[in-house]
Amino acid sequence: MKLRVVYGLILLLAILPWFIGSRYIFHIATMIVIMIPLVLGMHLMVRIGQLSLAHPAFWGVGAYASALLTMRLGMPPLLSILVGALIPSLMALVLGPIFLRIKGVFFVLLTFAFGEIVDLVFQEWTDLFGGNSGLYGIPKFSILGLRLTQIPHYYVLGLIAAVLIYLLMRAIERSDIGAILESLNEDEMLSRSMGANALAWRVAAFVVSAFVAGISGGIYAFYIGFLSPDPFGFQTIVDLIVMVTVGGAGTVLGPVLGAIVTVPLPELLRDAREYQLMIYGVCLIGFMKFAKQGLISFIVDKRSGA
Amino acid sequence: MIVNGLLGGLIYVIMALGFTLIFGIMRIVNFAHGEFYMLGAVGVLILFGGFGVNYFVAVVAAGLLTGALGMIAERVLFRSVVGEEMPGMIMSLGLSIILQSIVLLALGPEEQTVARPFSGIWRIAGAVVPWDRTVVSISAIVVLVIFYIFLKFSRLGLAMQAVAQDPTTASLMGVESGTIYASAYGIACLLAGLGGALMAPIYTIGPYMGQNPMLKAFVVVVIGGLGSIPGAMLGGLLLGLTESVLSTLMDSTTALIASFGVVLLVVLIRPNGLLGRTVR
Amino acid sequence: MTAPLLLVEGLTRRFGGLIAASDVSFAVAPGEIFGIIGPNGAGKTTLFNVIAGHYRPTSGRVAFEGTDISGHASDEVGRRGIARTFQAVHVFKNETVRANLHRAAILARRHNPLAWLSRHPHATPDLEGTAAFLGLDKLLDNVAGSLAYGLQKTVGVGLAMMVGPKLMLMDEPAAGLNPSEKIAAAALIRRLRDERGISVLLVEHDMPLVMGICDRILVLNQGIPIALGTPAEVKSNQAVIDAYLGEDYEFA
Ligand SMILES: Nc1ncnc2c1ncn2[C@@H]1O[C@H](COP(=O)(O)OP(=O)(O)OP(=O)(O)O)[C@@H](O)[C@H]1O
Ligand SMILES: [Mg+2]
Repeated sequence: MKLRVVYGLILLLAILPWFIGSRYIFHIATMIVIMIPLVLGMHLMVRIGQLSLAHPAFWGVGAYASALLTMRLGMPPLLSILVGALIPSLMALVLGPIFLRIKGVFFVLLTFAFGEIVDLVFQEWTDLFGGNSGLYGIPKFSILGLRLTQIPHYYVLGLIAAVLIYLLMRAIERSDIGAILESLNEDEMLSRSMGANALAWRVAAFVVSAFVAGISGGIYAFYIGFLSPDPFGFQTIVDLIVMVTVGGAGTVLGPVLGAIVTVPLPELLRDAREYQLMIYGVCLIGFMKFAKQGLISFIVDKRSGA
Repeated sequence: MIVNGLLGGLIYVIMALGFTLIFGIMRIVNFAHGEFYMLGAVGVLILFGGFGVNYFVAVVAAGLLTGALGMIAERVLFRSVVGEEMPGMIMSLGLSIILQSIVLLALGPEEQTVARPFSGIWRIAGAVVPWDRTVVSISAIVVLVIFYIFLKFSRLGLAMQAVAQDPTTASLMGVESGTIYASAYGIACLLAGLGGALMAPIYTIGPYMGQNPMLKAFVVVVIGGLGSIPGAMLGGLLLGLTESVLSTLMDSTTALIASFGVVLLVVLIRPNGLLGRTVR
Repeated sequence: MTAPLLLVEGLTRRFGGLIAASDVSFAVAPGEIFGIIGPNGAGKTTLFNVIAGHYRPTSGRVAFEGTDISGHASDEVGRRGIARTFQAVHVFKNETVRANLHRAAILARRHNPLAWLSRHPHATPDLEGTAAFLGLDKLLDNVAGSLAYGLQKTVGVGLAMMVGPKLMLMDEPAAGLNPSEKIAAAALIRRLRDERGISVLLVEHDMPLVMGICDRILVLNQGIPIALGTPAEVKSNQAVIDAYLGEDYEFA
């Protein structure tokens, strides 16, 4: 079955960096596995029919929070990442009931504005976040006396997180929760008439998706070792939308494929940002026009699930 | 200050009208709207700045070219996603970054300027008003009046209004829906192009210059009510004036957060905007 | 008379200047099949939408089992035991009939994430039994959207049944059905009451059907209630006959 082949290929890609052994390849692979939880968080929102532009901000909050928890409070890094991810989910819990009352376009605008404001706070609150000159000196990730100093170490850390979160998201999708979220998205009036509290479920999805974005941010912070507000702005929104669109929003595997093919692009086109934009744009339009279900639709038809 | 606010407001109105027209009729959030504005400005940069064509001729030509481009984009791209909110947004985002990258390739990342076609100042009630802003404001008003006449008196305009108010009446008006879509998107882009073309001598021109006006249009339309044409007018002027007042009273960060608060408030209290339809 | 199951008092709903329902009052007794009729645009669906919590009443009151539910959200109304079917077909078109019924069951029982965590003790409604009751047992693995229109409407009834309601609001269950399907629909509504103990509030244009199965009928015209009584009483009411004049309804 074709799907097996895809899983096999992904597995192969996952171990490929060790065969090549180059730092550069390891770096790209690490960025891919770090982006996977983030894009899966974004994807969960797309599944409930909401395009959230707040996720880069959640990602950033997770990143700064976990870095600061370790730097200022001396928390062990793993704990910082987990606690740090609770902060964006808390924000989602507070904002969700307000934002998610509103569907579609208004939600897009509100989440965008929220993202802008978070970005501004990162820039302006220099005492805490270091402003535009950045937050330096994030210690290396360590656990049980083991210090991660090499890129491949972080690749393994990111890979474990990505696999766990992928499995979590897949379990959600296949469970009754997935059916409920899908029902609400498909026919809200019908679902509500049967008793489902649409807002509560949407908020729950928002909270979970902010949490996984925060996890991704935490790992990113310890890997990069230096944070500036830069990556948490509009460019990442575009990147995420491209990943979901290219991979396909129909299944959880789609965004993973999207991340695998999209993340290396800026690295490959490092000196030609304008071409990268062009390729992104062409991808978005091309997939929307000819294959709304994304790459995944070439592999499995939606009904068989992945 | 008031004049600045008025001019800003007029441009927001021009942008927001098109934005709301596209949403009202096609249910598409046109993220590429700012890029059509940018193309209008680039048109003036090339025609007026480069070839020395008369400023007004250059503005009209740039607007028309942008409108034509919009119609092509509608036919080739957006027709297939009419009514589908998410694919529409994604597609317009794609178009937006393609247009940015084309201009980036053609002009480079530096901001450019064109010479001011008018200079000097005049005074009113002790206030100093530059001529160029005056001319641009008057031209913007002319554009709006023409657009208003078109909406109120032409068959197509009336049909478009009816559809924006209530998409189900589309077929009742006896105007083919394809024509409505093409003209709505085309006219919206024409307006955006004219807005950019008019502003070309006042602001710097670059590939990303459209992002801010697009956002403002988005905000205006949300405040005024998505799909509501009077809402876009009111919202645009309101935003222009409050902005120029706010920016003199506080720093831009606070101003931004304050305006976000206003939007949030409007969306919560009147989810359909100030002049939007009141359906729960 | 026993305490009413559903009590509607002075209910009014405006849309801008239009009064879609004006000062409507009636009560549905437990075990009753109560009909609402009226020409197109009379405000029947609006009334349903207000009772079901989809619209707020402009004024007036709705009470269910003695509790005021006016202005409650539609999911809350659903959880209290009022299920509904829709005038247009509302089913999960891409899912099988089985998945549709399953979804209805979980949407009702796991109505929010906390209810999910607390693992309600509610018994799972009998999916197979419901399907058999509706005659859908052979079609459980068919995709709902691929079924004939009449069967899709039946699936809609199944979704409402899976909620375990005490009262079912049915908006034009026979519209778009052929004559033999209409007879089956009438029989189904009776069986809902007789075998499942579900009271029914019914909106329907098909006069023979309404007259045949309803215990009492409310007639609306342009939002205003003009008659309330048994089918025989309503049929002979002059105001009703006038309201329907010029329309090709037959009072069979
Ligand atoms: N959301 C709404 N906004 C504005 N007007 C509405 C709305 N819903 C219904 N109406 C109006 O209220 C009136 C009653 O409509 P309703 O759908 O309740 O009639 P009905 O009795 O169900 O008709 P039918 O037999 O055709 O189904 C109509 O004039 C309709 O146009
Ligand atoms: Mg009706």
